[in-house]
Parts: sequence; C-alpha cells; structure tokens
Amino acid sequence: MSELKRTQLYDVHVAAGATMVDFGGWEMPIQYPTGIVAEHLWCRSQCGIFDVSHMGRLDIEGPENVKFLQHVLSSNVLALDINQAQYALIPNETGGVIDDVYLYRFEESKYFLVINAGNIDKDLAHLYKEAEKFDVKITDVSRDYAAIAVQGPKSKDILMVMSGGAPLTVENAKNSLNTLTMDGKNVRIAKTGYTGEPIGYELYCDSADAVYFWNRLVELGAKPVALGARDTLRMEAALPLYGHEMGECQLGGEIQAYASPLAKFAVSFNPDKGDFVGRAPLLKQFEALKKILNRDYSSIGDLPYRIQPICLLGKGVLRAGFPIYDARNGEELGYVTSGTMIPYFETEGTGIESVITERSAKRSIGLAYMKSHVVTEFEIEVDIRGKRVPAVVTACHMRQDAPPYTRPILYKKTTVEGPSQVTDYAAKVKELFIKAGENHVWRQQQCINLIPSEMTPSKATRLLQISDPCGRYAEHKKQKAFDDADIPYYQGTKFIVACEELLAAEMRKFLGAAQVEPRCVSGQMSNTAVFSALMDWKNRVDRKRQPQRLGWIMNNHIVRGGHLSAQPMGALHDYVAVDPVTEKQMVVNFPVLPENPYKIDVEATKVLLDQYKPEFIVFGKSMVLHKEPVAEIRKFVDEQGISTTIMYDMAHVLGLVGDYFQKPFEEGAEIVTGSTHKTFFGPQRGVIGVSYKPEDLKWSLWETMQTRTFPGSVSNHHLGTLLAELVSAYEMNAFKDEYQKAVTENAKWLAKCLAEEGMDVAGDPAVGYTETHQVIVKVGYAKGPEVAERLERNNIIVNYQATPEEEGFTASGALRMGVNEMTRFGFGKEEFKKLAHLIAECVKGVEVKDEVAKFRSGYTEMRYCFSDADTEAALQGLTGVLGI
Amino acid sequence: MNFPAELKYSKSHEWVKMIDDTTALVGITDFAQSELGDLVFINLPAEGDAVTKEESFCDVESVKAVSDVMSPVTGTVAEVNSELEDEPQKLNEAPYEAWIAKISDISDFEELLDAAAYEAFIQK
Repeated sequence: MSELKRTQLYDVHVAAGATMVDFGGWEMPIQYPTGIVAEHLWCRSQCGIFDVSHMGRLDIEGPENVKFLQHVLSSNVLALDINQAQYALIPNETGGVIDDVYLYRFEESKYFLVINAGNIDKDLAHLYKEAEKFDVKITDVSRDYAAIAVQGPKSKDILMVMSGGAPLTVENAKNSLNTLTMDGKNVRIAKTGYTGEPIGYELYCDSADAVYFWNRLVELGAKPVALGARDTLRMEAALPLYGHEMGECQLGGEIQAYASPLAKFAVSFNPDKGDFVGRAPLLKQFEALKKILNRDYSSIGDLPYRIQPICLLGKGVLRAGFPIYDARNGEELGYVTSGTMIPYFETEGTGIESVITERSAKRSIGLAYMKSHVVTEFEIEVDIRGKRVPAVVTACHMRQDAPPYTRPILYKKTTVEGPSQVTDYAAKVKELFIKAGENHVWRQQQCINLIPSEMTPSKATRLLQISDPCGRYAEHKKQKAFDDADIPYYQGTKFIVACEELLAAEMRKFLGAAQVEPRCVSGQMSNTAVFSALMDWKNRVDRKRQPQRLGWIMNNHIVRGGHLSAQPMGALHDYVAVDPVTEKQMVVNFPVLPENPYKIDVEATKVLLDQYKPEFIVFGKSMVLHKEPVAEIRKFVDEQGISTTIMYDMAHVLGLVGDYFQKPFEEGAEIVTGSTHKTFFGPQRGVIGVSYKPEDLKWSLWETMQTRTFPGSVSNHHLGTLLAELVSAYEMNAFKDEYQKAVTENAKWLAKCLAEEGMDVAGDPAVGYTETHQVIVKVGYAKGPEVAERLERNNIIVNYQATPEEEGFTASGALRMGVNEMTRFGFGKEEFKKLAHLIAECVKGVEVKDEVAKFRSGYTEMRYCFSDADTEAALQGLTGVLGI
Repeated sequence: MNFPAELKYSKSHEWVKMIDDTTALVGITDFAQSELGDLVFINLPAEGDAVTKEESFCDVESVKAVSDVMSPVTGTVAEVNSELEDEPQKLNEAPYEAWIAKISDISDFEELLDAAAYEAFIQK
C-alpha cells in the first residue's frame, strides 16, 4: 500500500489528539477527543472548523475555458458572475456522475474547481482527455492552498474579527465570494459549505498560512470538527456524498444523476450552454423526473430510483446498505445510502419565539435510494440485521431558512385542522365583544405604538368607514364609446361615485399627480396593478404571441429595506422575466453606500444603469431612513437616453410627500404607489398616481393601470374605507405642513435621544440619522425578535427588523420604529425623550410596563384633524344617524 | 483510563462484578467505550435469555459502526439496565455504573483478568 498523504494541518490534528484514519488515500482525522456528537452539536450551535485541504483544487484558464467547462460540467457556467460559486456535476456519457464539484470564479478569466479527494485521479484523467479538444489549461493547484471550512452560527462573527470588520463576501448571500486580507494574509473566502449551516464559509489560504489560520480560529472560539461529524452534518442536511448517493449503485450499475435531489440545481439545459457530456441521458432523466413529480409514472423507466430522506420510527440505527421494503405489501423498494444516529438540540416553544435549549437528543435518520413512485409520508420498513423496523419518507431532516441556526425537523404526521367545534354561538359573540374591547383599550390607551406602517385614524375617518356604503358595490369602468365617461354597473351609488371623484381630486393635489386611481384596497394591490399594466402595455403591439414579462427591473434588495411588494417573491412574482443566459430573474438591485447601507449609492447605480438598461426602476422601501435619489437618476437616464419607467413606491412615506421630504413627481417619478394608512392618515387602502397626460406615449399605460385595477385586481373596492379616505385626504391637505414638520423633527429627535441613551442608532448622523418617520436601532445580531417581544410585554410596540448586514428576519438584529402615530397623539420633544429612556431601560431588562401605560393614558386626544366644536357637533349628528 | 480493582475483565473488554457466586453485573470497560467513541444506541438482550461465554449477547452502536458485546459468562439474563436505551451515552460517561445486564445462574466463566492484568493486556 502506498504511503498515505497528509494535509498541511496533519501535525495540528495529531497534536489535538485526533483519531487518524485512511480516507481515500489521505491520513485524516475521523474525530477529536470530544467525539462526533459534541463536534456535531458545536458546529450547529457555535462554530466548527474543518480541514478540507485534502480535496482537489484546479485552476482552469485559457481562451476556451468557459467552453470547456460548459462541455464537462452539468451547470451553466455563463450564469456565474465574478465572485460567485456554483454546484455542478461532472457527468459521464451515460447519465451517471463522475464527481460532484464546486466551481468558483474569484477572477474574471480564471475558474477554480474543487473536486472530491477520492476522485482526483479519475477526475483528472477525464478532464485532461476532454481538454484535448479545447484551448484550455488545467493546473492542479491542490498543494498550493490549504482549505478550511468555517461553519456555524458564530462563524461570521469569528471571521469578521480576522477581517477587521470588513464584509466577508461581496454579497451577504450563499455562494458569494471574495478575496481579502485577514490578519495581513491573503485569503479567498466563499459563503459555501457542506454542513447545511445557513452561515458558513470556506477559506482558501496559502499552504504556509494554514496552521496560523487554524490556530487563530480556535483561539477565537471555533472548535475542530473531523470527518465523522462532517458526515453526520451533511447527512442531517440531506447533502449527497460521492460513493453513497452518487457513483456505484448497490443494486448494480451506477446511480443516475437525477436520482439525487440536488441534480435539478446542478444541471442546465440552457440553449447557450449547448451540448455537453451526458446531456442526452440527463435530459431523458429530467423529463421523467418532471412527470414523476406530477405523479405521472409513464416514463418511470427512465428514472426508476430516486434518493430521499428517511426517518426511522422504531428502535435501532439506520446504516448504509440496509434493504428497504414497502410497509403495506413488503415490496422491496431499495436501500439506505447513508444513515446513522444524529444528535440535535431540543427546542422549547413555537414559532419565532421558540428557544433552542442546551439539551440534546438523537434520532436515526438517513438518505435512501428507493423506487421513484415513493413519495413523502410513504411508510416503509428497513431491514436492520434481519429485523423489519418501521420508517417513513420525509421531505427534509432540517431547515436552514431561519438563520443564524439550523432547525431540525422532527418527523410527525402532517395533520390538517378540522372544522370548528363551537355550538353556543351567542356565548362566542359575547366573548368576542369582551376580547375586542380589551384589545382596543390596550392598544389605544395603554400601548405606545411605534410600528411605522400603522396609524390610528381620526374619529371622523373611523365613523365614515362604517357608514352605509361599507356594504355596497360601485363597480365602474370608463367606456370609450361614451367618450371615456365612467359607467357604473349598479344603482344607488351616485353618492359614492361623487365621493370617489372628490377623493381622486384631493389625492391629485396631495401627490402633485396628473392622475390618480384610488380603487386599490392596499398598497400591494396598487403595485400588482401597476406591474400587470406595465407588462400588458409592453405587449400591446403584438397580442398574437405569448406575452413577454418585464426585465430588467432595478429595485431595492429586500435585506436593504426593499418591500415584498416590489420583489420577485412578492408582487413582482408573475411579471418578472427569467434571463435566458443566467437563468435568474431579471432583477438588479440598487447598490448602497459602503459607509451607509441605508442609502443608495448614486454613482454605482449609474454604472449598473448603463450596464443593464433596466426597463423599469422601482424606488421605495419599507426600512427607509433617507430620501431616494429620484431626481439624480431621472437626470441620468434622460441624458443617457435609457428608455425606462420610474416608479416610487411610497407606501411608508406617502404622508410625507411635500416640502419636508420629497415631491416625487417634481423629481421625475412617473408613477407613485402607496398605502394610505402608514404616514398618511387614512383607513387601510392603496393608491396609484401618475404624471401622464393625454398627449403622452404612456397615457395608454395609465389607461391600462385603471383596467388592471378594475376589473384586473379588485371588483368591490371597499366603499366604507373609500369614503373614510376622503375625509382623511381632507385632513391631510389641511394639516400636512404642520404634521410633516412635526413627524420629521420628532424622528430625528427620537434618534438623537436613543443615541444619547447609549443605543446603536442606524443611518447618517450628519442628517440626524433619519429623514423620514423611521428610526432604526441595532440591538445585536439575531436579538431583534427577543427584544421586540420584551418591549411588547412592556406595552411598547415596535417591530424587529433585519439590517442590511443580516441574513433574514430570523437573524434580525434591529428594531424599526416610527414616530408617526404617537406624533398624531401629541407626542413632542419632551415625550419622545422620556420614551427613549423607557425603551433603553426596557432593552436593558428593567420592567416599565406600568409606567408606559400611565404615560400613554395621558395622550389619547387625536391631533392634525378637525376637532372644533362645530365639527364635533356634526360628528355627534352622524353618530346618531348611524345608531351608535 | 480507569480500571477498578474490585472488577474482573474479559479479553473482549467487558467487566464483571460478582454479586454472589452465581450472579454478576456485566458491562463494557472504559477502554472499550473510548475505542468505540460516542455510543448512540444499545440493543439490549431480553430478560430470561440464555447467554453463553464468548458469544455475543448484546450490541452497541456508535455514530460510525455497530459492535457486538460478548458475554464473559454462561448463564441467564435476570435483569437489563433499560435506562441505557434512552441514554446510551452513559456507557461513555460512566462505564462502570452503566451495567448492561444482571446474569444469574452462572455455570461457566471465560478466563477473566484482574485489573492489573487487564491494563497490561490493553497496553500490548
């Protein structure tokens, strides 16, 4: 037997007392003295480091390197931007897998391919042979670099100590890369890993620096994890391992590429990719898979087996190789490809408030190669050394979509809630009255509400909401035949039709808009109607082919404050195109200033505008501290002759339109959407305003927006709130100057007071941290939900918020507050100063509930609305008429 | 590593604690648990099972593998330590408290070592 190879870190492993084994020709640690279970749990709760220097690393360069990679890999290499990585397979000619690999693009013209240690010789032989047909150079640089995976919830914090606080990867997203200096040494870093951790990185450093980095990571709190726990971690994450879920099949022959659930991410049949090794058999498997997923088994022969997670229900431990049978009829289904007993931390509580305890338990889970008709919840039996033990097919063993922690998904039969069991409805009604009354008193008299997207409407607004039109319909549509006159479809609606016209006129005045569509009942519906209209309008000259979707679209990224209603995952979902080359949705995000991620970087935006020439630009966000650079971008696109449509989604800041914030149409926006109940005074509705005039090209776009509102989005447009919105528009136009001045001043003042209380306030201090009604305070990575809950228990209502540096709402480290509602209840400088102190005390852990309730009870009088004696008398009259 | 003097040891790494002339508790040694690594499952014998010296009477599983536990005596299983089913890690944490089975009616023993001899044996 040839001598075993050793990595740059061999001596460190031995010194740490690791048990060393032969792993594919390498002398590698299988476990450290603490053992596999402790190593697994440490990675899940803290930070584990893994020596992965044994893996093969190749530089692929030369004029035809992309063509070569497109030929030998399954993925679409053209989709890979600089500083991105992708998972791929090296397929063979028969639809099997030679290896699974990760392709990195750290440099413009050189690709870095990481291959499995045990497959290096086989991979290289295949790649060198295929490379003969291309002008490409493959260099084995495995020995030049060491590789250390740094995985787990604390990994980012630890690595950022070494980067001196610099962001680790170019984007804070999976598969993003960077080249940077850590402790004065060059490293390449990737947000990738093989543990399923939502926060995990892989470092590539010079071989000479390997020991330094390993020891430094340990010093900063990471613990070494060896191959044993690497296997249990990847198994829990249901990630495939070559030799188990790929390669040779225990039933004979090879495992097909599409048997692995990751294949659908790794394989691309993009026309730009062209033919590649294994394309034809892979396409056949993919066509069969699509049918199988629709439970159509007519092509099951092309993909007879698939790999799925399984969970043992009876006693014992799943092990690779155990046969599997159908629990109903004993039919042999396949075999376990990977399995063992895997530890996890128990949790207490439910939902966002669930707490990961320090108690651990274990479960036997694994992956299994089974006939393709087997689906989730399928009951199976595993033959454990002659004993049939019940098990079940599951969708997953854990989830990674609640960063910073992974969450184990313990098997339980999916139950569907049955119908209500109520019989005594009279009692239920009375109970509801009492509870609604209690809630009203709590929110209106005892709680200080700082949710920036909420508003208590005035008494007049509330009363009008429940007056008669609240139960009516008033559908109407402009008819060309009647010279664009609005034709109502129902009788009895003349009053509400007149009110709707008055409302449109008030909103035109408020927004400075040429036209207003007031029928949308929410801000998100306003956006959907606009997107739908834009897409329809784009296709107006050719109705005979499949309508084209919108692309490119420039918007604010969701983690930088962009709202769902302008994201592909939200209201853009059905309107945004997929780029045929990169196979990604055609959305490009506004870049932000490095020193202030809450502000768009105008100069960097201009570069992207030139590059992408977006057909649609959407300003506006829900975490908003600063003005949007509408005027600058309008000027730039006009100068460059970029044909685009500029929209400003003013949902949050609709009530601030004016001298104290922004005048969107004067700055060059064509479309403004918004919701009427955040900074605006109204009931909960939406609005669309446009700048278009009858002679404009886009007048027909405006007409389309109206038809995409009705009948496109809404039929009954909630007439009670429509009437109420009219009075709130009157209030707004009458009081906006003093209200807007007070809100913007109060926000800056609250920010200043919170900063003086020692809290970490986001935004640009030079402009008083905020230019809107919002204040963002950072309370520590992933601490947001817990702190917001503590404030609620103390009658201070805020919402937790992920900052631009965080991975998503579960990792929220900030609180978002708005001064709008409390300003309307009469809070000024003195009150917000007192509030800042109460918040700071409460965040520190002091109970302030009673003090807050007492404080709040003194501010129940609504401002910025008509409260003179005549108005009060008229309101009393209306109350009498309504019979309340 | 710890090898209490009052116990006897088998060459297949089990310990035996005599309660009376024909009854004993049986478990695995500190050396055995350390070699096996984290134990995550035990397949206990059933009460009333007849066991035979130098034959497997139980198996334990670590994250990586299954291992047989050999019986150091011939007799009958009188009682099993069912706590180990829920907490097999006790075999790692306290191997001499984590007895696996009480064997009664012992009729034969394999050649058992005392602590010093066992320690010398595992040094080889």
